[in-house]
Amino acid sequence: MSEALIKLVNVVKKYDTNSEEITVLDGLNLGMFEGEFVAIMGPSGSGKTTILNLIAGIDGTTDGQIFVGPDEISAMTEGELARWRSQHVGFIFQFYNLIPALTAFENVELPLLLSPLSKSERREHVETALEIVGLTDRSSFYPRQLSGGQEQRVGVARAIVTDPTILLADEPTGDLDAKSAGEILFLLENLNKTFKKTIVMVTHDQNAAARASRIIHLDKGLLRADVPMNNNQAISN
Amino acid sequence: MKYIPFLLKNVFRKKTRSVLTIISILIPLILICLLNSFLQVLDQPDPSETRGMFRLVTRHKVGITNPIPASYADKISRLDGVMAITNFAWFGGTYIDESSENFFARFAVEPKSLLNVFDDASMVKGSTEDWINDASGCIVGEDLVEKFGWKIGDKIVIVGTIYPVTLQLTVRGVYKVATGASDALFFNRKYLEEALPSFKGRAGTIWTKAGDAESATRLATQIDKLFENSAYPTKTESEKAFQMGFVSMLGNVKLLITTIGVIIVLVVILISANTIAISARERIREIAVLRTMGFTRIMILSFILGESLVMSAIGGILGVVIFVLTFDPLKSFLATTPMGGLAKGLAFYPETILLAIIVSMVVGIFSAIIPAIGSSRRSIREGLRYIG
Repeated sequence: MSEALIKLVNVVKKYDTNSEEITVLDGLNLGMFEGEFVAIMGPSGSGKTTILNLIAGIDGTTDGQIFVGPDEISAMTEGELARWRSQHVGFIFQFYNLIPALTAFENVELPLLLSPLSKSERREHVETALEIVGLTDRSSFYPRQLSGGQEQRVGVARAIVTDPTILLADEPTGDLDAKSAGEILFLLENLNKTFKKTIVMVTHDQNAAARASRIIHLDKGLLRADVPMNNNQAISN
Repeated sequence: MKYIPFLLKNVFRKKTRSVLTIISILIPLILICLLNSFLQVLDQPDPSETRGMFRLVTRHKVGITNPIPASYADKISRLDGVMAITNFAWFGGTYIDESSENFFARFAVEPKSLLNVFDDASMVKGSTEDWINDASGCIVGEDLVEKFGWKIGDKIVIVGTIYPVTLQLTVRGVYKVATGASDALFFNRKYLEEALPSFKGRAGTIWTKAGDAESATRLATQIDKLFENSAYPTKTESEKAFQMGFVSMLGNVKLLITTIGVIIVLVVILISANTIAISARERIREIAVLRTMGFTRIMILSFILGESLVMSAIGGILGVVIFVLTFDPLKSFLATTPMGGLAKGLAFYPETILLAIIVSMVVGIFSAIIPAIGSSRRSIREGLRYIG
């Protein structure tokens, strides 16, 4: 059995509120392989977005370890995590989160500003990313001039422009109509199948989850089910 | 360098707000430039010292409105180190009307000795001889000629207010001071003595020209000691100290100007800080997204500080440019106001430009530092969840 690209080992995550301590993840063990398209589903508060945040290094574990490739995310400092994220993570948000003052081109270029690429090299990467998402003719448009679906496609382009190791998508179709949602999901499938991108997607949408090669069900911070959609091997609790 | 386009785009993302913020910086900057120019005037070295002419002013110890005997000049002239001596008596009076527009200094003096003491002035029209030879003659400053259009031979009527005499004077000369204002009228004291016998033998001030700094310092003490037990004890001081005495009648003017300047800067910082804070609050989620991409806390802090510095630099530069372009008309206008005495000394000082640049940088940093630190400290998770 090949080594998992993303490994969560006995991960515990607790949050302190004013009145109590909330346990979101309680000793979760999970592995995701390179090239998988994993959908994480579950009721609100089950820990779906928390898993995404922990894998991205946006949040830290209370206990346990997280590995992405050879890197132990849970042991990195904030500065190391920032550098690691810029090279290995592409994040797609539910509400697109584009910078309104920047054009589509400039939004996609943003992550590349952290790289040592020259201006012309950055331009090449951005144009490629926009071509993949089918928005070459909208590169000079501002977010306010784009539809919701187009904005999300810019979000996808921004997430893939650095050719990251993993793509993390938090409800990427949550704010879209059915048609636009379909386009985004098609795009993600394409990225997975054609470009072999490892994608971890949090979703409430069964139709969205059906596009994945594996569906993980969470409830109260624990793994309830792990369903391969394409007979891929899975690791369960 | 590659972040500059991103920075500039954010500075002008809300154009109206940015323009108003820049205006709220540039207008106070113009005021600060003006205030500093006044401070520079007050801080200028004693003109006597810089030109090697050490002039002293002797007046009644109680105050300038008390006269002293004109004969004191004879006694003072015998002291070692005295190069020249003359006396002034303030006439005052009214020319045309009592408006500030028609106000200028009018003194009764001794024509023969005046320019010996004030040898930094020279006659540019007419002559001292013509003036000496005309008991009702007067000399006027070049600034007054420019203002009133007088010519040699013109009649000037001054109605006395302190002295019940109306002077009918004839312009016999125009003088110009090399550096400084040329804005007073001087007439022969004999005219006033003949018109008003009770004025005979009186002076308001006696002006002594010393040969060097050591003499000037020594003479000030010597002169006062000479008359300390007389019916008219004196106070002798340098020309600059004497002039500053008038300014100090307004209170501690330098402290007042400095305080006003500091208050202006603080208010600008508060206004600018409010704008930056609003902008930072609007961008909480955006900043979280940047940090998700890998931008660090230090970078976020630098972006916000950088945006603030760009705005304040634009405001500062525009403020200085407008100040430079409007300096002459502003000076001319202020010269017609009760601040005219100070305004006439206004000049362009490089220190003012430097101060304006420093102030705009201070505004840029201090108005953004707290919002910048706050923005950079917020956790990514918290920022992504922010609805706003």
